[in-house]
Amino acid sequence: MEKYECTACGYIYDPETGDPAGGIAPGTAFADLPDDWVCPQCGVGKEYFQKLS
Amino acid sequence: MRVIVLGNGLCGTIFAKTLRDINSEIEIDIFGQEQYLYYPRPNLIEFLAGHMPYDRLFAFSEAWYSDHNIRLHLAKKVEKIDPAAKTVEFKNRGVKEYDKLLLAHGAYAGVPPIKNVSISGVFTLRTLEDALNIQVYLKDRKKVAVIGGGLLGLEIARALNAGGAEVAVIEFFPRLLPRQLDARAATLLKQQIENMGIQGLLGKTTEEILGEGEATGLRFKDGGEIAAEMIVVAAGVRPYLDLAQAAGLETDRGVIVNAHLQTSHPDIYAAGDVSEHKGRVYGIIPASFQQAKNAAYNISGQLQEYEGTVPSNTLKVMGVHVTSLGLVNPEEEGYEEIFKLDEAQGCFKKVVLQNGALVGAIWMGTKEGINEINRLVAQNAKIGDHKTDILEDGFDFSQLKK
Ligand SMILES: Cc1cc2nc3c(=O)[nH]c(=O)nc-3n(C[C@H](O)[C@H](O)[C@H](O)COP(=O)(O)OP(=O)(O)OC[C@H]3O[C@@H](n4cnc5c(N)ncnc54)[C@H](O)[C@@H]3O)c2cc1C
Ligand SMILES: [Fe+2]
Repeated sequence: MEKYECTACGYIYDPETGDPAGGIAPGTAFADLPDDWVCPQCGVGKEYFQKLS
Repeated sequence: MRVIVLGNGLCGTIFAKTLRDINSEIEIDIFGQEQYLYYPRPNLIEFLAGHMPYDRLFAFSEAWYSDHNIRLHLAKKVEKIDPAAKTVEFKNRGVKEYDKLLLAHGAYAGVPPIKNVSISGVFTLRTLEDALNIQVYLKDRKKVAVIGGGLLGLEIARALNAGGAEVAVIEFFPRLLPRQLDARAATLLKQQIENMGIQGLLGKTTEEILGEGEATGLRFKDGGEIAAEMIVVAAGVRPYLDLAQAAGLETDRGVIVNAHLQTSHPDIYAAGDVSEHKGRVYGIIPASFQQAKNAAYNISGQLQEYEGTVPSNTLKVMGVHVTSLGLVNPEEEGYEEIFKLDEAQGCFKKVVLQNGALVGAIWMGTKEGINEINRLVAQNAKIGDHKTDILEDGFDFSQLKK
């Protein structure tokens, strides 16, 4: 599954680890994150994430 | 221990969160002059573009603060710091004591000395309040001029354009993103923004805002004028220095801190956009974030040194990827510049060499090979034999590994 990077702060969302503190189970694809999920580091919305090449 | 945090922007918020994760006992009070819960400022762009609803601007709920036992005081401006008494003061004589104080009160938008600039219809964009004011003012107006063709100015232009406004960007330099691009890349970017319907006016110094009572346009130094019902100034930010200076702390462009994020007073720390570390005022999220974390560890007693932040070399502006590395606009002789421009694809690549060694590069409109070119510029790699084909799509960088 693909990793996504926060363009504001550089945080990388890795589906393998998910975001347990934000209630996201390991194995959750970026596309399946809820719309109101925010970057665990800086708090920007999903719009600010882009696929890592 | 009682810790007071001045400012509820990214830095104050991340600091409090980190400190609470390290230590459950320390009392934490955040004072913020804005009336809103923490929101990341980049969200304001998507909000103005109409892509993000108001409710989603905020990163943490009120419940989050109480769950973390962080006391948040909104619309509460600190008016004075007394380092000897270890207090901060508010209007109406309110006083609060601290053991350690973090200055995380950030920066404000700078406005250059333009005639008539305080007239109504002239805005900056730094806070949610600014964004809401812009939104209201724009409701029954259409023509906008953005003064400043740097990153923030272009993002504001994109947002307002997406929201339906007719936008012109005014830049003092003869090219957009003057720090990141050269003339050719900037011309390509200008074509792309013009395709989106945004006008670019370059090499223009705004001398006066036209209008009486309400802005109606701009006049430039060269005598030219344009009509505009609203003007947004995006001409850089300035750290808030008044409080720190009045408290006798050492300041320059920002509040000066050492590697532990300590100011010239040992109980007062500073981090984020307000701070200056080794002569640098960063003004970007990754630096604020790192400084906030380091400051939290230091205040908790687990010493950590801040080593500086390397700003990302890749930006996404107007939906275009721009990677700008090292020296991109050599002004002296002795440099060789080789470029490849593909207007149809909106793609531009350039390398700058000095005696066959790679000292700078621009990669625009593509992300292919950016990690490799980044590494090669950092190493000042000798790429003499490949200086032309390195610009080709699909170039095999493994040839250069030695
Ligand atoms: C529209 C926009 C988009 C941006 N996009 C990006 C981006 O994509 N990437 C990036 O890296 N950076 C971006 N930035 C810059 C980024 O937002 C800042 O680096 C970041 O906000 C710094 O955080 P801070 O907490 O240090 O300061 P601030 O965010 O300025 O927060 C400081 C807070 O303290 C308050 N304060 C000031 N004085 C007092 C006082 N006396 N008493 C109480 N409170 C006070 C201020 O009102 C403010 O709320 C953007 C900025 C803007 C405006
Ligand atoms: Fe982030």
